[in-house]
Amino acid sequence: MLLFRAILLLICIYTFRHYYFTFNRLFAKQRHPYVDLESAAWPEITVLIAAHNEEAVVADIMKALLEADYPKDRMSIIPVNDRSTDRTREIIDAFAEQHPSIEPFHRVGGKPGKAAALKDAMTLVKTEVVLIFDADYIPGKALLRQLVAPFFDPEIGAVMGRVVPLNVGKKCLTRLLDLERSGGYQVDQQARMNLHLVPQYGGTVAGVRKSALEAIGGWNENALAEDTDLTYRLLIAGWKTAYENRAECYEEVPERWPVRVRQITRWAKGHNQAMVSYIARTARCPGLGWFERIDGLLLLGVYLMGPVLLLGWVLAVVLFYTGAQIGGGLTVLALGAFTTLGNFAAFFEIAAAARLDGSRQRIRLLPLTLFGFIVSLISVSQAARQQAHESLFGNLFGNHELVWDKTERSRTAPVLDDALSPTAPALRESV
Amino acid sequence: MLPWAPLALTAVTAVMVMVPITPALYELWKRGDASPLPTSRHDARIANFADVLRTRLEPLRAQMERCRAEREVLRTSLAGMEILIVGAENFDFDPQQTQGISTLMFSDAAHIPAGQVVDADVYADGPIDLGEGAALRAAVGNDDIILGKNSTVLRWLHGSGNIYLRPGSSVYGRLSAGQSIRLERGCAFQHMHAPQILTIDSDNTRTLATSGAHVCQARKDSQEDPENAEMGDIFALSRPRLRVEGDFVLPPGETLNANVIATGELHIGRGARLLGSAKSYKDTVIDEDACVHGSIVCGGTVWLGPRTFAAGPVMAESDVLIARGARVGEPDAPTTISSIGANIAAGCQLHGTVWARVRGTIEA
Repeated sequence: MLLFRAILLLICIYTFRHYYFTFNRLFAKQRHPYVDLESAAWPEITVLIAAHNEEAVVADIMKALLEADYPKDRMSIIPVNDRSTDRTREIIDAFAEQHPSIEPFHRVGGKPGKAAALKDAMTLVKTEVVLIFDADYIPGKALLRQLVAPFFDPEIGAVMGRVVPLNVGKKCLTRLLDLERSGGYQVDQQARMNLHLVPQYGGTVAGVRKSALEAIGGWNENALAEDTDLTYRLLIAGWKTAYENRAECYEEVPERWPVRVRQITRWAKGHNQAMVSYIARTARCPGLGWFERIDGLLLLGVYLMGPVLLLGWVLAVVLFYTGAQIGGGLTVLALGAFTTLGNFAAFFEIAAAARLDGSRQRIRLLPLTLFGFIVSLISVSQAARQQAHESLFGNLFGNHELVWDKTERSRTAPVLDDALSPTAPALRESV
Repeated sequence: MLPWAPLALTAVTAVMVMVPITPALYELWKRGDASPLPTSRHDARIANFADVLRTRLEPLRAQMERCRAEREVLRTSLAGMEILIVGAENFDFDPQQTQGISTLMFSDAAHIPAGQVVDADVYADGPIDLGEGAALRAAVGNDDIILGKNSTVLRWLHGSGNIYLRPGSSVYGRLSAGQSIRLERGCAFQHMHAPQILTIDSDNTRTLATSGAHVCQARKDSQEDPENAEMGDIFALSRPRLRVEGDFVLPPGETLNANVIATGELHIGRGARLLGSAKSYKDTVIDEDACVHGSIVCGGTVWLGPRTFAAGPVMAESDVLIARGARVGEPDAPTTISSIGANIAAGCQLHGTVWARVRGTIEA
């Protein structure tokens, strides 16, 4: 019974959080403190492109970055080719021959994983500001300046931009993920920015201050989710992460359900790993305000809520059929509130995001996001179960080595012609 | 129980489930909104509107030259725009001629009489002179632009040369110049950009009283002496970071080489120098003759005192108040001032961009 009440309480807290963020985005004052920065002594920057077998997409991002509206003499591009076995190396070298600002980093050995690759590549980085992209992203012309602007704030250690799916119209799944991404960035991330909470560094369309990274010990190559890991290490060390909602960048989202399941399972495992590592330190970190601390803790536990919700459902059924008394008026009130409001909190958030994005028709797909929700619920619960099992019996079966568990790309060839800008209509038609 | 009751219940339930699902399935089938969300298309240049108008009018250049030579007024259309090409001097803005016109294209100088309201975009191949109390929708000129007393521009204004704003004139939206913008007392603006922005008492610049004696010393030092190269660099790796819980005060006359973050107010004393950047969660006060060689980021209001210098950027989540003789940015290092509101005294010298999201004013 105590467990059931604890689960109810947790669900109510997360429900309140969903509504609070959504109402903040719809009705409160919005914070975009760095968006107006047009003229400045722009710093020298290094753009790292994480690439592992990316022959289909790596040319697009290099073309897009070369067209970026950032002083060319202040920008160097380092494609981090991590042990690719396809034509990635050949394509990168061909670009590097034509463009001196591209300085390839070909990694042929070492520990697998994005964090390990970035860690090795940092030896080439001489600039204070480092931007990071995955190879399947297509940055717009003004994006680099938008991502660099927050670093003029001496408190900012990392910056996160907004990810916008490019292959939206391909499948039902891509359309649902488009809605889900809108909710996550347009509402969650921006509300955290508005409320001075904990915007999350997402590992791509992102930037990090080199001195801050060095101060916290560099990339953690043992982290399953180097982005969440970095967010919390920076937070605990007194650095802030800024979210730039208008620094938008196209990405490719999974087009097949198995790919999506693997993606969210990986995210859940990485996030849960970070939760175990940082929950205690976040709870007692002296430099954090109370709201920031609570948000940090809730963000750490977000992937644990899947199994918690499932457990709550099972317990509710058991308690109902065993005729147990579930408690007094408060519990009934909480249950009632949840069934009338809580069930729809995440969907309300997505609807608000679609409205803020000015899209009118795609909101009709909202009921179908229930399927995405159920798939995610099962995937993250499965991930948590596996991790619990590994932590209990890990020594018995041995620890798993990290791998480049990257999301399968659906693009089979570059979509940007030399003359095309990243946002040209022809690009959209091609996808 | 009636034999058809289970069937009816099943049917009603199916209908209730299908009510929200049907529009979703329809959207999946028809794909009415399946394209990617649009992302930023432009490079955020303030003169974009002016550039677009110039480009659109380019095909009419030959006609404009002809009108100039023959001193005539010609009405024409281009891609759905009704355009009046004015080659004659002393154009009188006859309502019959300007009715339905979306763009006025002057082959030379454009003189807009006092009190005249022009609801079309204006392009002038020469200077633009907006009379006292006149109002204009938007304009781009290939020379200097003068806005008369209490005149108004509603959308945007761009001049290739200098722009003069006489007392009480207002430019809503974008204001940009290729060389300089000079604003007199009581002027209002929102978003302006120029290599040099001067706030002046009258139409001369002799009243400028910025302190240039010491403010750029660190920058000069860094340029002249390689050992001090990092002094003038906001992003210098070696600069320490000082985080203060509560208020921070840099005493008068002191010099500090650090990036300072204060969770309360931040106060740079008279004549003090901060060689790094400053951030405060609450207000920031820079006392007279003080200078900040990095950026100023503030959760409240920034007050730049008399004869202060800020290399910039200056970003305030509330207002920016700039006292007489202050200077922000440098001619070879333009920067940005960004805030909700801005109030600038006469006698200030700014370089780059000034954004006042709600309203910026020059002290009356």
